[in-house]
Amino acid sequence: MKYIIKRILQLIPLLFAITFLSFAMMRLAGSDVVEQKMLNTGQVVTETQLQAAKIELGLDKPFLTQYGVWLSNMLHGDMGVSYVSGKEVFSTFTSKLPATLFLTFTSIVLTVIISIPLGIIAAVQKNKILDYIIRFLSFIGNSLPNFFVALVLMYVLGIKLGAFPIISREMSWESVAMPTLTLAIAMSAKYLRQVRATVLEELNKGYVMGAKARGIKFSVVLWKSVLRESLVTIITLLALSIGSLLGGTAIVESIFMWDGVGKLAVDAINMRDYPIIQAYVMWMAIIYVLVNLITDLLYRVLDPRIRLEGCSND
Amino acid sequence: MKCTKRFLALLMAMTLGATAFTGCGASKDADSASTGEKTLVFGDTTFNAENEEANIDPHDTYCGWPCIRYGVGETLFKFNDNMELEPWIAESYENVDELTWKVVIKDGVTFSNGKACDAAAVKACIEDLVAKHERAAGDLAIDSIEADGQTLTIKTQTPKPTLINYLCDPYGCIIDVEAGNADGIVVGTGPFVCTELVTDDHLNLAKNENYWDGDVKLDEITVLTISDGDTLALALQNGDIDAAYGMAYASYPLFENDAYTFSSTSTSRAFYCQMNYQSSVMADDAVRKAFAMGIDKEGFVNTLLNGYGTVGIGAFPDNYSFGGDAVSTEGYDPEGAKAVLEEAGWFDTDGDGIREKDGQTLTIRWISYPSRQELPLLAESAQSTLKNIGFDVQLNITADHGTIVADPSAWDVYAAAFVTCGIGDPMYFFATHCLDDSTKNRGGYHSDEIQALADEMNSTLDIDARSDIAINMQQQILDDNAFVFCSFLRMSMISKSNVTGLEAHPCDYYEFTADLDVQ
Repeated sequence: MKYIIKRILQLIPLLFAITFLSFAMMRLAGSDVVEQKMLNTGQVVTETQLQAAKIELGLDKPFLTQYGVWLSNMLHGDMGVSYVSGKEVFSTFTSKLPATLFLTFTSIVLTVIISIPLGIIAAVQKNKILDYIIRFLSFIGNSLPNFFVALVLMYVLGIKLGAFPIISREMSWESVAMPTLTLAIAMSAKYLRQVRATVLEELNKGYVMGAKARGIKFSVVLWKSVLRESLVTIITLLALSIGSLLGGTAIVESIFMWDGVGKLAVDAINMRDYPIIQAYVMWMAIIYVLVNLITDLLYRVLDPRIRLEGCSND
Repeated sequence: MKCTKRFLALLMAMTLGATAFTGCGASKDADSASTGEKTLVFGDTTFNAENEEANIDPHDTYCGWPCIRYGVGETLFKFNDNMELEPWIAESYENVDELTWKVVIKDGVTFSNGKACDAAAVKACIEDLVAKHERAAGDLAIDSIEADGQTLTIKTQTPKPTLINYLCDPYGCIIDVEAGNADGIVVGTGPFVCTELVTDDHLNLAKNENYWDGDVKLDEITVLTISDGDTLALALQNGDIDAAYGMAYASYPLFENDAYTFSSTSTSRAFYCQMNYQSSVMADDAVRKAFAMGIDKEGFVNTLLNGYGTVGIGAFPDNYSFGGDAVSTEGYDPEGAKAVLEEAGWFDTDGDGIREKDGQTLTIRWISYPSRQELPLLAESAQSTLKNIGFDVQLNITADHGTIVADPSAWDVYAAAFVTCGIGDPMYFFATHCLDDSTKNRGGYHSDEIQALADEMNSTLDIDARSDIAINMQQQILDDNAFVFCSFLRMSMISKSNVTGLEAHPCDYYEFTADLDVQ
């Protein structure tokens, strides 16, 4: 418990540092939301109108003052309003979260369903035809960029077979199918090689030989010992992916019109919509800290050696 | 063997899963077919907060554009295909004196909530507009408004020869200000009523049962914001949407068949090059002339834009009386350009293909931006043709172009897109680009003739006389080679062949009308 509280308290200085850095970097990027809007509409705005718009948003003030104002409001529970849409940042952000959470869940589940069995099969069938086929597919999956896979899936499943809609109009299984497949193909291709390598490593260890020698069925050794040992590596990989998926997948979200936080963040960066960017940065920092914390705790459950080492150090 | 069986079992499970997903894919048209209602789904790449179209309240930034395009709002007057004014909510106007305008509102016009749209309602709307919308307040310079029955009297602070044109800007949509603007939804007089709006996602429209100008054929329309061009194309192919705005040129061939209809028109969105007079290279008259002769406008339009554009001559396309071939300029002539440069002393002395003069190479720093798909294509085309003449064109196509262009020592040529005649009046372009105090006179261009002609234009009310002045002004900037107008956007909307009444308009304001229908 002490450990969990300590880790959560570490989040506070991290949030200060990361919000300050992102605030500073956006200013270094040049231009601001007022100029970006003017460029996008292609219409003429006088210098007076430009300055008035900047003053209204507080963009005329020094950088540290702007950060101070934002931080003070933030600590009072006010995340501000979007410079672009004029809507509240908190409600805008939370309205996009369910879609991202849903897509993260389905992608991770499908990735696990595909990559773990195939990785194990490839390891067990090492250098046999099934192994070659799985590795070849993994190679293809790794080589294809997400946007290309998305377009191919849209063409084949959407246009040729008419199985799924091209546009995700709502959060439904039907709509999430193609974005999920797109993400899962790339992630599974990567993971099944990792699973294969980890399982192979375990299979070559002495305890497997010993179990075999004692006449224990191979399937029992595989599922009860080898897989449990491999889980630490697999969970580390999954934790990283969950972190990045919860941050949204801008390209997949844009292509499928999946209304999640990734697209929101990219649009906000393009438009220099600082309040939204800050909310996104905070969300990412919190996700990574929490996902890492949960992973660490899972390690302790899965591998008693880590838990015991922790105790001796304390 | 066991593993092989498991593998096969897994494959079967995945296939079943996919089939289950497929089962969820209900027929798209089933719902509307069962209710007997006529519905249309429209995909648009431009309806988003980035373009300052976060809602449809015309008194908020550029939100008047979706308000008028999607048939919620209507203006007092509208433009016809020749960009001439014609009545809409109003039946006539009269310019009483140089500061006073009388506008008569048509009888029987109502808002979608049934309330009469009389002069008092229009007065309330315009007063709300100028109080909230800084750009409109500046354009209209209204001193006072009086309403009497159906007659509206507007007094301006300064002479405004183009007041009626400005009232046709999308911000001039007449809305019932008493009805409010909850969630950015307003009550207008148009054929459709907005029922739901989610910024950057979608807009739902329903038929205006009280429409004052005839029967509305469609019952419901959904406008989807689709930011990705490939998704837009695939969605139209798949039937997820019935019509699309903002399709990429590269996708056009997919729809050039009987199953789809194109509605295209020339607009005044010009793709042009602006010269930097503060650059030592571009300040040379011969260099600017050779530059203008070195751009293959026809090749650019016909090959790179697949013919979906109009070759530019002056600042306005040919559907304006003062546009098209009313003026003349340099044509594509590589040999002529070489001769011009040689006469001015630009020679390739070191044999590297690039000309020099007095130790200075003929290098052009070309600045542009990628958000308009035509601009990078124009840059590459010009780089190639100008190289043959002896120019070294260095391209910098960046989203941060504003910062670069603000520093006159950092660029030579700026290529951009601009709607030169959005409100049907030519002075807009000159006022913004060509005068000493113009906000977009980025290259420091100055012409005594242009300054004098601008003064004359500002005091001229007669439309034909203004048209003549516009021709003279264009010819002057073309003779100076201060600008090169390469092409104009040929705006297209693509729809399924069963969609009727969706017509592209030169001003790009009007899309959904009461006649829009699905057969």
